[in-house]
Amino acid sequence: MASGWWPWRRCCSWRPAARSPGPGSPGRAGPPGTLSAADAGAQGTGRKGLRMSQMSYFNLVKSLTSAFPHRYSMSRFHHMTSAACCCSKTQSGEKYTDPFKLGWRDLNGLYEDIRKELLISTTELKEMSEYYFDGKGKAFRPIIVVLMARACNIHHNNSRDVQASQRSIALIAEMIHTASLVHDDVLDDASSRRGKHTVNKIWGEQKAVLAGDLILSAASIALARIGNTTVISILTQVIEDLVRGEFLQLGSKENENERFAHYLEKTFKKTASLIANSCKAVSVLGCPDPVVHEIAYQYGKNVGIAFQLIDDVLDFTSCSDQMGKPTSADLKLGLATGPVLFACQQFPEMNAMIMRRFSLPGDVDRARQYVLQSDGVQQTTYLAQRYCHEAVREISKLRPSPERDALIQLSEIVLTRDK
Amino acid sequence: MSLRQLLLRLPRYLGVSGSPRRLWWSPSLDTISSVGSWRGQSSRSPAHWNQVVSDAEKIVGYPTSFMSLRCLLSDELSNIVMQVRKLVGTQHPLLTTARGLVHDSWHNLQLRGLVVLLISKAAGPSSMNTSCQNYDMVGGIYSCQRSLAEITELIHTALLVHRGIVNLNELQSSDGLLKDMQFGNKIAILSGDFLLANACNRLALLQNTKVVELLASALMDLVQGVYHENSTSAKENHITQDIGISTWKKQTFLSHGALLAKSCQAAMELAKHDADVQDMAFQYGKHMAMSHKINSDLQPFIKEKTSDSMAFNLNSAPIVLHQEFLGRDLWIKEIGEAQEKGRLDYAKLRETIKAGKGVTSAIDLCRYHGNKALEALESFPPSEARSALENIVFAVTRFS
Repeated sequence: MASGWWPWRRCCSWRPAARSPGPGSPGRAGPPGTLSAADAGAQGTGRKGLRMSQMSYFNLVKSLTSAFPHRYSMSRFHHMTSAACCCSKTQSGEKYTDPFKLGWRDLNGLYEDIRKELLISTTELKEMSEYYFDGKGKAFRPIIVVLMARACNIHHNNSRDVQASQRSIALIAEMIHTASLVHDDVLDDASSRRGKHTVNKIWGEQKAVLAGDLILSAASIALARIGNTTVISILTQVIEDLVRGEFLQLGSKENENERFAHYLEKTFKKTASLIANSCKAVSVLGCPDPVVHEIAYQYGKNVGIAFQLIDDVLDFTSCSDQMGKPTSADLKLGLATGPVLFACQQFPEMNAMIMRRFSLPGDVDRARQYVLQSDGVQQTTYLAQRYCHEAVREISKLRPSPERDALIQLSEIVLTRDK
Repeated sequence: MSLRQLLLRLPRYLGVSGSPRRLWWSPSLDTISSVGSWRGQSSRSPAHWNQVVSDAEKIVGYPTSFMSLRCLLSDELSNIVMQVRKLVGTQHPLLTTARGLVHDSWHNLQLRGLVVLLISKAAGPSSMNTSCQNYDMVGGIYSCQRSLAEITELIHTALLVHRGIVNLNELQSSDGLLKDMQFGNKIAILSGDFLLANACNRLALLQNTKVVELLASALMDLVQGVYHENSTSAKENHITQDIGISTWKKQTFLSHGALLAKSCQAAMELAKHDADVQDMAFQYGKHMAMSHKINSDLQPFIKEKTSDSMAFNLNSAPIVLHQEFLGRDLWIKEIGEAQEKGRLDYAKLRETIKAGKGVTSAIDLCRYHGNKALEALESFPPSEARSALENIVFAVTRFS
């Protein structure tokens, strides 16, 4: 039963030691979403507990794993948490369906509609902009968005329809995401994505950057046409977060604890912010209750972080055919992600490599070996599970519905996917 | 670091020497594109234009010079901007762009922002402006309109920076190490994205979805315009585009006209002016920008130059017109005749073009657009601001 978890949650805080908001974090009042992403775990219990803010992040994880050693093994853990999760999948009593199928009912014609937004006269530029909207992407974000839209609508007034504006958000989220991918590929000098060549490799860097700008402008036009200034503010925040996330990625931190906080903040800005804010946007369109907006936001944020953590794990554990892009990609870019940071605890000799961003010959392979020898992968996966549970906890506050259950199931799919 | 300090140090960082590249119009920066292609020409800035601009700035209440550089002062971006120093000595176009921007900040030429401010003032408050009573107005301009002027400059600067991305597979050994270019690209992409993100956020703060739509569509136009410009000024710059003047006008509207036109319209929307006023503002912005661009294109052909062999853009208005009169084949022949051992003799080609009808037609076209701009202004009540806008048109269409 989940109550077994509560004691430790009450006495610990996820807040890493002495962390102040990093140089660019907007520090907005209101939704705590822009605080350290690591706060996610503490949100639910939060108010009663002692804030042991001096406790370093790594010590925290160690104490968690030592407190519950029998739950530490990944597969057993996962199995147990499914049963232990107090948010029952079948509470609504509705038939259990595949969340992707459920979501796609509202997303028919998604890519055609996106391409309509990119209808310009300049042929080659149009071709480049449409390149990734070929129907082969995961469409993970649009799925979450439409499911959240329905879950919120049902919660509010049992309305089973998705509004046109909400569906627009799904398109806009996918477009913003894709625009950032196009630019990221130029920044990383990537050669392949989703099993095909990148835009920059086919058409060159100059045009690729312009294509990214075009997609962004098309997304902005679509956003403006919804006609809701709150929604515009929510999603323009995403655009800023994406850029700040890239800046965070360029910099690095000396101190171990700072590194992890830095990593989580970057993860929030680069991945989770889009999902969190898209969820919030559709909830704003569907329901006037700010409590619901916050639930949607927290779900999106936690799932988003978990998603990226697993992505970082897969960079070590999967092989290149499955992913559609080569692995050890992060190491090759000089990035120290979750598994690496955890592994560094066990193998301090990795510190030097992290500081020089794996730039010496042999660094990448050595680092990979260290990671695979350590429990870095397991620890990162465990952390992802915590975020997923938080997401589920939040979304369970909504009225039962097939879509709400689908969102619960989706968070688990995030953990178990292999590409 | 205060704004003043940053700007004082930046020229040194960027290797801008005592005599910075002097430009007739900063918008000749607009035509800077990739490595190896046409560079802007130098000339003496006439006192007249400076006077027009500085009078205009007084009317709108503050120098528009520091506008888009203000957001460079955020922590992240100032770190990145400092890194532009590393590009000194390389051929990365971002260095040229950055130098130009710094130069501009001292020579106050952020024309788009200035025009937006002027037209806001010229239009004044709307007669049915009940909803604007909450906006604060300084010097006859609403603060949201001032913000809009800044946003316009942000978008312009962002694309200026994004124009200068280098295609890595086209590098020759003279372009420096691959790493330099990659690094330069990285900074350029991030800075440009940062400026765009800033623009989007500020647009959201205006709380007006129509304005967001207008500026977003202006951005889309601008991206297409830049795409066309980059395509035509490729390495093979002896070959010119086979386009007629009407296509040229469409492309130039995208790259130069759309942003200013739609910003002017948006400024009217912010003050809740009706559709007619918005349209007049749009027309002014569009035609003024067009005549401005044509003027810029004409500079190589109307000034007495000290260095006649300076390269010029082969896809500019006078040349497109020249080609249209002559026919494509004869034009290609003329280019061939001006080539010596595979290199283009610009001085010779210049004479050839001056001898044709391209230059005079371009002057006529410039004046045509200038007149259209003035026509649009007639519907605005007479004022200092309106006169300043007229003076800008006169300055841009003067060729004597």
